[in-house]
Amino acid sequence: MREKLLSVPLIEEYIRELKVGDVVYLKGPIYTSRDMGHLTIKDKLEKGEELPVSFQGSAVFHAGPVVLKKEAGWELVVIGPTTSIRMEPYAEMVGELGVKAILGKGGMAEDTLAACGKYGYVYLQAAPGCAVKLATGIEKIEDVHWLELGIPEALWKLKAKKFGPLVVGMDTHGNSIYKELKKKALDKMNDWYKL
Amino acid sequence: MFNEQKLYDEVSELVFRSVTGISEDAKTLIEKALTKETNPTAISMIEAMLENVEMAKEENKPVCQSPGYPTVYITFGDKLYSGIKEMFRKAICEGTEKGLLRPSMVHPLTRKNSGNNSGEGVPNFEIDCVPGQEYLEMIISFKGCGAELGNAMQIMTTAKLGKNLVGLKKFVLETVINAGGKPCPPFAVGVGIGGQMDVACKLSRKAVSTRHWDDKNTDPLYGGLEKELLEKINDLGLGAAGTGGDTVALAVKINGAATHTAIAPVAINFHCWVARRAGVRLYPDGKKEIIF
Repeated sequence: MREKLLSVPLIEEYIRELKVGDVVYLKGPIYTSRDMGHLTIKDKLEKGEELPVSFQGSAVFHAGPVVLKKEAGWELVVIGPTTSIRMEPYAEMVGELGVKAILGKGGMAEDTLAACGKYGYVYLQAAPGCAVKLATGIEKIEDVHWLELGIPEALWKLKAKKFGPLVVGMDTHGNSIYKELKKKALDKMNDWYKL
Repeated sequence: MFNEQKLYDEVSELVFRSVTGISEDAKTLIEKALTKETNPTAISMIEAMLENVEMAKEENKPVCQSPGYPTVYITFGDKLYSGIKEMFRKAICEGTEKGLLRPSMVHPLTRKNSGNNSGEGVPNFEIDCVPGQEYLEMIISFKGCGAELGNAMQIMTTAKLGKNLVGLKKFVLETVINAGGKPCPPFAVGVGIGGQMDVACKLSRKAVSTRHWDDKNTDPLYGGLEKELLEKINDLGLGAAGTGGDTVALAVKINGAATHTAIAPVAINFHCWVARRAGVRLYPDGKKEIIF
């Protein structure tokens, strides 16, 4: 197991060096996006409208924070990963945007695995349900867009000091921890229980 | 029967307690899983989970960013305070304002967020009258919704259940394999068997939300199945966080009901490791018993 601290914007060459099982931490800006966020990006791209941020070299976190509005601005209470598979239909779009790392939990499927190789991005697994601990890796909330989508679905820009640990669950070489484990598990089940 | 303010304080405390921690039974099982774990990634994931629980407790913060979906299970004897539903709604909205629950309830089609976790049918209530029961029992469960994405339901049949229930066991294992890391393992698996579709689904949720995960099923058939399925599920090797390891499930809980001879409804319902629930029994004489 190798441990690395990567700075955002991420460089594709370094991303392509990563292998499943590697442990990384991120430093720099991280954007959150989930169901409505991805749908909004898609709509805007189709209409030829400009996006509020550039996703070139970015890290996109499948997450919606708990926040409090204070006089000085938004204060982060806690944040952790949401189930990533819901964003599977956007595998190509994410690649075309130039996203270099997706952060989430539970893994993604074939379209994402293919896009990881094609566009040079990785899937990083965060510890599920560990929102208090993970939030300690975030220095502050820098900005927010699309608040009309509701707090969980808005596009939050977070500033990470050392965010992680994140395990490489899917790499650019066609490897997926989730796919491997699923195959092994199905073989075991069919061996145990014969209809 | 109950003083209104006192009852509200209890309700409010239940909401606070359930979102800032996990129930002891779940914590004990996670600690046990850590002592047995051999996969290094799984060890670091489980350690992070336990540390996270401690941090949430110390800092009075929500243990997970997602508040899940609240269901309140209430049983009462001959008197139920009519304002109880409103109290839970109010306590949930207040908890949201304080930053203990992220506003997460949306219209099912327009996806518009209400902003304070209110909404039609929220929280969900299951209320039962139990003749002769002295106390008022209230359990609130904030069940994570990433876990819901792994759920499955099938109207099985006598033939589909299979010899030695092999069909049923395969359905449970297949569902677990397909769910993989999505329901935040180490999870608990609720299985509801019987009734019609809605009954099996409700049983599956109730089993995993209101039973202690380390309890023993009083029904020997269900108890035996729980034990066998738990062992087999963990032997699949999926592990904590779904990235490999020895414990993907902390418990399997089966609840049943009689069904029609033509059908065998089976529902499978995941609960993430974040066992956010709190429950009390309040007696008319002021005595209070903590369930979670």
